[in-house]
Amino acid sequence: MSEISMPRLSDTMQEGTISRWLKQPGDEVKKGDVLAEIETDKATMDLEAYESGTLEKILVQGGETVPIGQAVAVIGSGSGAQNAGAEPAQQPAQEPSPAPATARTATEEAPAAPEPAADSKNQAPAAESTNVQQRVPEIAERSDGASIKVSPLARRMAEEHNIDLHQLQGTGPGGRIVRDDIEDYLEQRGPTPSTATPETAPAAPPQEAPAAAQAAAPAAQPEAGAPPPDAEVVKLSRVQVLIARRLTESKQTIPHFYVSSEVDMTDVLAMRQTFNASAGEDGVKVTVNDLIVKACALALEKFPEVNSSLKDDQLIKYKRVNVGIAVDVPSGLVVPVIRDTNIKGVRSIAREAKELIAKARANKLSTADLEGGTFSVSNLGMMDASNFIAVINPPQAAILAVASARKQFVPVDGQPVIRDMMTMTMSADHRIIYGATVARFLQEVKRMLHDPYSLLG
Amino acid sequence: MMAEITYRQALHDTLREELLRDENVLLVGEEIGVFEGSYKITAGLLKEFGPKRVVDTPIVENGFVGMATGAAMLGLRPIVEIMTINFIVLAMDQIVNHAAKIYSMFGGQCPIPLVIRTPGGGGQQLAATHSQNLEVWFAHVPGLKVVAPSSPADAKGLLRTSVRDNNPVIFLENLALYNIKGGVPDGDYMVPIGKAQVTKEGSDLTVISYSRMSAVALDVARRMEEENKLSIEVVDLRSLRPLDYETILNSVRKTNRVIVFEEDWRSYGVGAEIAALIQEYAFDDLDAPIKRVASLEVPLPYSKPLELATLTGAKQLVESINEIAPRRRRSQS
Repeated sequence: MSEISMPRLSDTMQEGTISRWLKQPGDEVKKGDVLAEIETDKATMDLEAYESGTLEKILVQGGETVPIGQAVAVIGSGSGAQNAGAEPAQQPAQEPSPAPATARTATEEAPAAPEPAADSKNQAPAAESTNVQQRVPEIAERSDGASIKVSPLARRMAEEHNIDLHQLQGTGPGGRIVRDDIEDYLEQRGPTPSTATPETAPAAPPQEAPAAAQAAAPAAQPEAGAPPPDAEVVKLSRVQVLIARRLTESKQTIPHFYVSSEVDMTDVLAMRQTFNASAGEDGVKVTVNDLIVKACALALEKFPEVNSSLKDDQLIKYKRVNVGIAVDVPSGLVVPVIRDTNIKGVRSIAREAKELIAKARANKLSTADLEGGTFSVSNLGMMDASNFIAVINPPQAAILAVASARKQFVPVDGQPVIRDMMTMTMSADHRIIYGATVARFLQEVKRMLHDPYSLLG
Repeated sequence: MMAEITYRQALHDTLREELLRDENVLLVGEEIGVFEGSYKITAGLLKEFGPKRVVDTPIVENGFVGMATGAAMLGLRPIVEIMTINFIVLAMDQIVNHAAKIYSMFGGQCPIPLVIRTPGGGGQQLAATHSQNLEVWFAHVPGLKVVAPSSPADAKGLLRTSVRDNNPVIFLENLALYNIKGGVPDGDYMVPIGKAQVTKEGSDLTVISYSRMSAVALDVARRMEEENKLSIEVVDLRSLRPLDYETILNSVRKTNRVIVFEEDWRSYGVGAEIAALIQEYAFDDLDAPIKRVASLEVPLPYSKPLELATLTGAKQLVESINEIAPRRRRSQS
């Protein structure tokens, strides 16, 4: 029998949400089978079984969020599925689950050491097994929902602030509720007098609220600025919470400035038609955005200060040019990255972009798809936007907002001529990039779009 | 006025000043006179004060600690040097069964104003029998006081207080501290026994330590504050017996998270004692289990790489701080 714990799926991941279980208790599982889908701060990923057996018990239900390392399920021989309560006794014979690798090392070392004690972390065998026995009942209690693991300080704070601990999700070791969680909760709840209890707050008779809205409303929300009873309250997904935090951080900490430029896209559109016609039936069609991405990538080669990041008092100039493309998805916005965009041909870029967009819409992007971007392009051209400006995607230093190409009269040799004109606006981090640089960068992008065959080199 | 001097110099100067101040004060130990001390703490003192005040002894620890105890019973104020704490094992009977007990067993007829100075600590490739940290043995015994200064200033202040105290005091030094420098107040500077010191204020977690590890902890805490913005409070115990509950508990109430950082072995150690007292008196202030960071429980190897791997130090402390620091503070870094 062994526990499956919440894996660390990205560098920034602190906790994960089980989106849904694909296996149910009692199901046979083989090593490599996908047990569940996990939503992290960046993407949705599969939780695979590391060994074969029977899924005996699900400890964390779909929709619940737990910190990395916490047990989410138990896989066993199948005998334990019916009498789940008996497992603590079996546990000491198994590897202590939260850190199987370390535990294994310790047991390997033990026979070689002349003295019983070998390591300050895994002192004597006796101490080790005590730890395991302590850990197991805690998990069992938690899965029953009968008792909650909470630090003494957090318990005291909860009492002082009238907080029902059942409303909180602990992020300490083993899901323990700690001071951080109480503080998070208090921040969320806002500055309310601690005497205000949920019963005294809302005026609307709760019976009349639609059942769905009641279910969706987070338990934390009633006191300050409660929404009207007819409003729908939707809890943000983890991705949406992350987007909200990142964008706020970007706008609050990065001094944005903006430079716009109009580009004549007539030749680009013409070339694209010819180019796609030659691609044949099942060839990948190149989009206008792919060409703009390529133009940006080539311009970034020439303007390394745009392809950079500010970190403390250092300017980090990236050698590689990885352009991210903003993709609109049901849950918000994601920016998958096309790596080494400057050295890829437009057809490769087009193929990759298409795959990434499909993955994004299916919520299948991996962390690798989302990491390492050095610049972003956001395009609302298909949605008839005449002009817009974008928020920088940190730690990048700039983002290009691309609007629609529209037929306009422009003077050519003193005569009005109809051309396809498009406005693009660059948002840049003024701490490291200056107006003239952005203007020159845009000139370079524009030069290539006016001479679109230069993009095919 | 503050002079920048080494820990060694602070000890030397204080011994000399005490010898000058009170003619009942005398030094006793192996190689402290003609050879001027294995670690040169007593350099020049035999020449200045003569063989009655600076007494070279045979290699017989139980004998000369017994002699010093007898001298203390009769009103002298001996300061014994045990070359390193490893040799104190030979004098356990005199210290534990006699020096620590005579005052209370004989109706308070005579106090024992005895100081036993001795350095502990590893890291000098002196191998298992010459690198130990045995101070907790003495901190366990009622009737003894145990002090462990980590800075030149405390070395001076605590040594003066120890010499003038009427109880037997184990004065713990450390081989790796002798050459560290620091400001030392001039004049009759005294540090009370039984009083810890917050050497650095902080709000995210507390590192409690003593002797050399306290100096290491202070350094780590300053560095991490600069690099990671973690605000770490450092409590230097300075005295292991009596232990300053108040300073420890105040810090726990402030930061709610505690690491005890000690060079000795972990089992039954200083960390165990402190963890026990914290849960007893400040249980409701704890936000995480108390973490003990100590050396590996093996006889210390001679080989340099193995010695380094065995002894605890800054690296282990940094790892533990990263592990135990509160999430909200970590995510800001």
